[in-house]
Amino acid sequence: MSERLQRWSAKGRKIEAIYRITLRQQLAYKADFILRASFLLLILYVFIQLWTAAYEGDGERLIAGFSLKQIIWYLVFTEALTMASPHLCIRIEEEMKNGDIALRLIRPLSYLGYHYSSYMAEALFRFGIHLAVGSFIAWLFVGPPAFGLGWLGLLSLSAGALTIAFLLNGIVALCAFWIEETRGLEFVLQKLKFTVGGMLLPIDLMPEWLQRICAWLPFQAVLYIPARTAVAYEEAAVLQYFALQAAWIIVLGAGIMVIYRKGVSKLHVNGG
Amino acid sequence: MLTEADGRRTGIRAWVVLRFLCTIWKVNLASSLEYRISFLLMAGMMFINNLMWLFFWGLFFHRFPVINGWEYNDIMMLWAVSAGGFGWANMLFGNFHRIPSLAATGQLDVYLTQPKPVLLHLLASRMSVTAIGDFAFGLAVYAWAGDLTIRGFLLFALGLTVSGSIFMFLMIAVGSLAFFIGNAEGIVQQAFNSFVSLTTYPADIFKGMARMLLFTIVPAGYISYLPIGLLRDQNPYFAAGAAAVTIGLGVLSTILFYIGLKRYASGNAIIMRG
Repeated sequence: MSERLQRWSAKGRKIEAIYRITLRQQLAYKADFILRASFLLLILYVFIQLWTAAYEGDGERLIAGFSLKQIIWYLVFTEALTMASPHLCIRIEEEMKNGDIALRLIRPLSYLGYHYSSYMAEALFRFGIHLAVGSFIAWLFVGPPAFGLGWLGLLSLSAGALTIAFLLNGIVALCAFWIEETRGLEFVLQKLKFTVGGMLLPIDLMPEWLQRICAWLPFQAVLYIPARTAVAYEEAAVLQYFALQAAWIIVLGAGIMVIYRKGVSKLHVNGG
Repeated sequence: MLTEADGRRTGIRAWVVLRFLCTIWKVNLASSLEYRISFLLMAGMMFINNLMWLFFWGLFFHRFPVINGWEYNDIMMLWAVSAGGFGWANMLFGNFHRIPSLAATGQLDVYLTQPKPVLLHLLASRMSVTAIGDFAFGLAVYAWAGDLTIRGFLLFALGLTVSGSIFMFLMIAVGSLAFFIGNAEGIVQQAFNSFVSLTTYPADIFKGMARMLLFTIVPAGYISYLPIGLLRDQNPYFAAGAAAVTIGLGVLSTILFYIGLKRYASGNAIIMRG
């Protein structure tokens, strides 16, 4: 029993160390952060103008259940989640190309576990920063958010959303075991999140045939579900969303494990 | 007064520069085609990227058929001129947004030691493969949604010329700041991304001060209003303004580059051009 406890405690310390290192790395690139944040401000400003034109400046009007204010805050949340995701594909692809993966594999850390911890540390940090920046501009143009329990829904569903984002990115990134360039696949994945993930347009506003397709895809669990919950909280729906995220985490988690095991068994690192 | 001999000399010089450019473009294309699969993947990826944006706009206009006078067809033409213009500029003069990194790494030496116009040589020395996808996308969307008469084609070609030139000249001007403020790669890249983003949204969603900025300091409006001002309404004031801004930016960027170049100090790096 105590041996098991020790093992878990050692694992916890490793994860904590990865979080600490990742955060330090992030804090070292302040200029990069300011530039990203300024880009987010610009994009959100453009969206505010676009949606204000679509609503013809009528803040009271409801379209598919969304007011202008809800739409703008929805976009703040989807953008903050999108910009939170680190470029996992670039990292894993580089590790494969320059042989660094050999060093990762001999360390007393699970390869996927290491990347997941590092990904989540960076993503949570970035999410916080982008949420603050996005909130500033949305507050300025459409007023303060009064979402009550929606905030709790957003924060709790975001952890699952970022985990699913990691799994999707990880599956694409691990294709580097077989193909040299994974950027093209990452690109397609990103575009799927943009569109059928509901990043630019809430799924409720899409044609019905597309809504039916989106319901069967994991992308909505990454962006649409947490953002929709934040701006229009419904207790019954939240429980369903948790179940949906859990199901996707199990399916994609199993998928990534299979791909990793198959890939690592055929890995050859030359030189050193 | 220009004598006949001067005129002939200028003509010969222009012909030599043109032949030089054609040779560079030929070599750039040959080098891109060396890795055919990668070439097709990169260009195809950009084509799909743009197509996904049109898909988003299709969904948006399905819900809101008219936005401040803009319809889906106008957005399609906006993407055709914006992506197409960006595409040709980046295909033929692919270094236009890389001046800060070339200056910072001392890679300008190679252009300074050769008897060719420095700026032109530098710009044409790189061909962006993804930009070929952008250009092809512009043409495909024009073929799909544009006015396929001779007049329509000429207007579209003019729109492409204006948008590509504004992209290029603006980035040369901003990139030349690197000569004055040092390492400006991050800022220039961000300015570039922001400018490109602004050119892909309908100009008419912006009002007041924002709209004024789009047609002055950040001249993205001269690209994003092309589908309405040039292709749909053929507004002579807009056309004249766009032409004046394009020429003005061309002159300004060239002057800024050559003034900045005087401040350039070689990194003394020995570099082979691939």
